Formats: sequence, structure tokens, C-alpha cells
Amino acid sequence: MMGMAMSAEVLSKAVNLLAFVALGLTILLIVRSSLEGQVRVFAAQSFVLALLSVLIALYSGSLELFGVGVALVVVKGVMIPRVLNRAVANIGLVRVAAPYLGTAPALMICGILTIISFYVMTPIAASNPLPTADAIPLAFAGVLIGFFIMVNRRRAVTQILGFLMLENGIFLLALLATYGVPFIVEMGVFLDVLVAVLIMEVFVYRIKDNFDSIDVGHLEDLKE
Amino acid sequence: MMLISLLLIPLAAAGLIAVTRRRALMELLHTLAGLATLGAAAAVVAQVWNGAVLTAAGDLFRVDALSAFMVAIITLLGAIASLYAVGYIRAEFAGERLARARLFFALFQLFVFTMLLAVTTDNLGVMWVAVEGTTLATVFLVNLHQTRASLEAAYKYLILSSVGIALAFIGTALVYYAGAAKAGEIAVNWTALRDAAGSLNPEVVRLAFIFIIIGYGTKAGLAPMHTWLPDAHSEAPAPISALMSGVLLNVGLYAMIRFKAVVDVAVGPEFAARLLIGVGLFSLLVAAFFLVRPRNYKRMLAYSSVEHIGIICLGLGFGGYWGIFGALFHMVNHALSKSLLFILSGNILLKYHSTEIREVRGLLHAAPWTGALFLAGTLALIGLPPFAPFISEFIIFRAGFESHPWAAGTGVILLVIVFGGMLASVNGMLYGEPPADLPRGDALRLWLAPLAANFAFLLVLGLTLPSPFVAALQQVLKVLGI
Repeated sequence: MMGMAMSAEVLSKAVNLLAFVALGLTILLIVRSSLEGQVRVFAAQSFVLALLSVLIALYSGSLELFGVGVALVVVKGVMIPRVLNRAVANIGLVRVAAPYLGTAPALMICGILTIISFYVMTPIAASNPLPTADAIPLAFAGVLIGFFIMVNRRRAVTQILGFLMLENGIFLLALLATYGVPFIVEMGVFLDVLVAVLIMEVFVYRIKDNFDSIDVGHLEDLKE
Repeated sequence: MMLISLLLIPLAAAGLIAVTRRRALMELLHTLAGLATLGAAAAVVAQVWNGAVLTAAGDLFRVDALSAFMVAIITLLGAIASLYAVGYIRAEFAGERLARARLFFALFQLFVFTMLLAVTTDNLGVMWVAVEGTTLATVFLVNLHQTRASLEAAYKYLILSSVGIALAFIGTALVYYAGAAKAGEIAVNWTALRDAAGSLNPEVVRLAFIFIIIGYGTKAGLAPMHTWLPDAHSEAPAPISALMSGVLLNVGLYAMIRFKAVVDVAVGPEFAARLLIGVGLFSLLVAAFFLVRPRNYKRMLAYSSVEHIGIICLGLGFGGYWGIFGALFHMVNHALSKSLLFILSGNILLKYHSTEIREVRGLLHAAPWTGALFLAGTLALIGLPPFAPFISEFIIFRAGFESHPWAAGTGVILLVIVFGGMLASVNGMLYGEPPADLPRGDALRLWLAPLAANFAFLLVLGLTLPSPFVAALQQVLKVLGI
């Protein structure tokens, strides 16, 4: 009984730390300007989340969650970064985050979003008996910031990265709140994300071919 | 068993079409699949109609009256659109452009499959995966013409829908969490959640439902999350526009209705009602603003979808027996009339090679069948008797004046504005002098024959409101606990 309580506390600390690292990586995406570096940040975050899944799987003895962790490494840690790197290489872009807002104001917005997240989510996390619940506001902040990155970016590839960070944030949120949604659902989600990224890659090429640029700011013909 | 074949037919057809090399064989597979899906659906709906609840694969699939209602809408309009699609694709992608025709037919079937999966599963997570699947299946269809405009529309559609649906996933996870935290081990199944609804943490459920409204509301085309809709629906090939506007938006609504049934028990009906009336009125307002003077007839139809989804949300928000009854009835009527008009818009496009309203003159003269049907369809859509949308709008607003008079009054005013705007625009298209070099005669006249079904339903439902139909809707209401 005592041992169980101790390990819950240890788990809670480890989860807090890793969730904090994951949020830090989301914010790092704003700071990095090279596309390759950004893809690496995303891959690193996916590995952190996989580590978290495995930790929680060990604690709760859930084989399914262990499988989710492995699938996460394969899909989001290896396959999707490879697709993105291929796209970056094919369109020959290196240093083009091209956000609407610069780094300093963007970081300030990240701070504000984190505060909002703690304000909204702390009462909800407090009602949760799981040892992972303390980190829920951190995960939600990751969701909000991923959303902001998407809105703030002009290039198609970096928008996709924002979308993926958003996805990772949601995964983390579900993981912390409920030890993840059931295995079959999680696999379906991974499949959807993978297909979505592959389709987005095709669209990046098509936008490049049609507009000779992947600046989605060009996409503004369809107005009333 | 029937339930599994209902899902397998379009899925298998998509796979077979993808490896077919001959156009005739593709068309045959596509047509047979459309009709076979409709047949399997009829068998499923008939069993549910007799009081059964069908399940398959453990608790993964479950078809109750609400699911059967959606299956009927999807497969009926799917079959009609698939018949017209054969002719339309022959005209648009003739001869050498076989690869595009193949892509169209395969994705069409995949699209139908994802919609059917979304409404027949009991697992809210799988439903989410399927709804995201509808976006992935349709995005290349939106870009099928491979113009710059369609590229832009498809990219926006992909990004905005993916983000929207990601937010719906947060809502789903939160509801799951509310269930798991209270009832211990719980599946993400709708039936389990509904049974546990009384004991869910209301604070979590409220937050979850806000995410659900934003997320699935994006798929349903509710303002202010509607911005992708006019682009995507107007750039897609006509048979796909018909299904996206007439049917896919209803699938988004369906997801919201499932969650609403749980939320109403967990936190009381007033919370969801206020949200739905809010987004419903706002959607009407945005649509009315555009529909005062539309320039492009496909965009006009798309904005009109925003309007009608708004009306349905008002009905859901007004609530009570008649509010919900009217909303469900209007889902059917909007699907019937909007898919009809989008199919006709394909005919107009083939004839005039433009989607601009001012380019289309003298439609009644140049293409009499298309013109006359377009006029009749528009009158049905804007809510004139004897067509059924008049009855369902009347039911919704009657319920509204009893429970929320101010919202209902505002809604009626906006409806009148839309009425005037759309009638004036369509009027301009129908009359006047057609371009001198335009030959007389309808494009694809015989391919319009399936639309007779739409008109038959719109008239029969509008004139008689048959009692088997009312009984079917009552079964759906019972599922929703009303």
C-alpha cells in the first residue's frame, strides 16, 4: 500500500516534468527559424510523449497504453518527420517560418495562453483523482499554443507543424486526464493524422507548382 | 449481418474502382454500389423501424432509430447523386482524363463509407475518426478540377476542418474523462455515457460541450466556423457539392445531437439550448448578410446551407417535442432540396461554363428542364408551400415563439431577408436573354431523372406529412429521451 502511494507520487513528479518539457518544446517551435530544426522539435516532442505513455503504462499496468506509446514513436516520431523532411527537401526551403507576429510578441502571447489555460483547467484538474492530473493545465496550454502557431504562420509547411503540435497537445491532454482514450480509437486517430499529413504534403507541392511559393497568403482569391 | 454489408459495400466498391482500368466497368461498379448500399440500408432501416436495435462487432456498431434516420438520408441522397455523377463525370472528364474519373468514383464511395461509419458506430471515438475521415475522403474531390481556386478551397477546407475536428476530440476526451472519473471503467460508448449521464461532473461536461459545438460545428458549417464552406462546396464537382451540403453537414449535426442528449441530462437542457440558439442565430445572420446580393450561384447555395443548418440548430435549441421534431424534419427537407439544387447547378455550369450569376441569363429559355426544376427547387428551399421545408420551418418557429419568442422573431426576420435575396437572384438567372451563341437544350437531361425522387418526397411530406414518417421521427425522439 505504502509502495503504491510512493510510486504515485514519483509518477506525478515525472509526469509534471515531462509535460513541462513537452510544453517547452511547443514554445521552442516558435523560436526556431529553420524548418529542419522545427521538424526535429516536433519529433523530439513525440518521443517525450511516448516516454510519458510508457511511464503511465508501467504504473497502471496497461498493455494497450504501452502499444500506444510504441505506435506514437513509429508514426509521429519517425514516419511523419520523414515525410516533412522530404517535403522540405523537395521544395528547397530552409529558413522561412514567416510568421505574422515576430518572436517577442509571439512569446508574450504564449505566456498569456498558458495563464488562461491554468485559469480554465485548474478547477477541472482538481476534481480528477489520477496522479497525472496536476499536469493537465500544461497540456491544455500546449493545445492553445499549437492553435496559435497555426494561425500565426504563413507557410504551408509550418502550418502543418502547428497542426501537429496541436494534435500532440490533445494527445497529452487525453493521456493525463484519462490515461488515454481506448486503443482502437487512438490507432484510428494516428491513422487519420498520418493520412492528413500525407495529403497536406501533396497540397504543399500543388501550391508550390501553382503559385511558385508556399506562402498561403497567396490563397486569397476566394473572397466575396 | 445486414449492418456489416451496409458498410462493406461502399468500402469494397472504392477498392475495386481504384484498380479498374475501363471506364464502363468503373461506372458499373459505382452505380451498382450506390443501389446496393441503398438496398442494404433499406433492410437495416426496416428492422429498426420494427423496433429492433442492431448491433455488430461487440459494442462497436449500434444502429438505433437516430442512426437509422441518418442511414436513410445518407444512402438515399447518395444513390441519387451517384446516378447523376455518372453522366456528370462523362461530360466533365471525358476521354483521356480517365485517372480523374477513377479518383472521383473511388473517393465518392469512400466518402459514403466514412459517413455511414460515423452514424452507425456507438463508440464516440470511432465516430470522431470517421468524421475526420469524411474530410480526408473529400479533400481531393474539392480539388478535382485542379484550378487555383479549387486548390485554395481544398487547402483551407483541409486545414480548417482538421483543426475544428481536433477541437471536437478535446470535447470527446473530456466527456470520456467525465464518465471515467465518475463511473470508474467506462467505454467511450454513447449508450454507456447516456446511462451514466446523471452522475457526470457538470463542470467538465459544460466545457466539453463547448468544444463539441466548436469542433463538430465546424463540420456542420455553423458560423463563425463556416468560412471554409462556401469555398469548398462551390469548387467541388456538383454531385459532391450535393452530398457535402445536403448530407455531410447533417453528419456534423448528428454528432452534436448525440452529445446534446448526454449534456441535457448532465447539466439540464438550458445550457445546450442557449449555445445552440446563439450559434444558430449567428449563422442565419451571416448567411442573410451574404444572401442579400450573391454573385455566384454555387456560393449562394453554400451560404444557404449555413442558413439552414442555423435553422436546424434553432429547432434543437428551442427544444421540447416540437422543436426537436421540426429540427429532424428540417434535416430531411434541407438534404432533399439542397442536393437537388446542387445537382442542377452542375447542369447550369455545364451549359454556361460559369458560376457567376450575372453570366447566367435566360435559363428557362436555354435549358427549360434545368430552369424549371431549379425554380421549383429554390421555391422549396426558401420555404414556400406546398413543399415540405415550409412545414418544418413552421413547426420550428412555432415552437420557438412559445419558448424563446425574441430569438424566434429575429430568426423569422432574417429568413424573410434570405427569401427576398435568393428569389431575386434566381429570378435574374431564369429570365432575360440567353447569350446569343448558346445552343438551346438541357445538358444531361435524362440524367436528371433521379431528381424526381427528391420532388416526390418534398411534395408528399409537404402535402400530407404521412403518419409512418411521423412515427419514425417519434422513434428518433424516443432515442433522444423526448
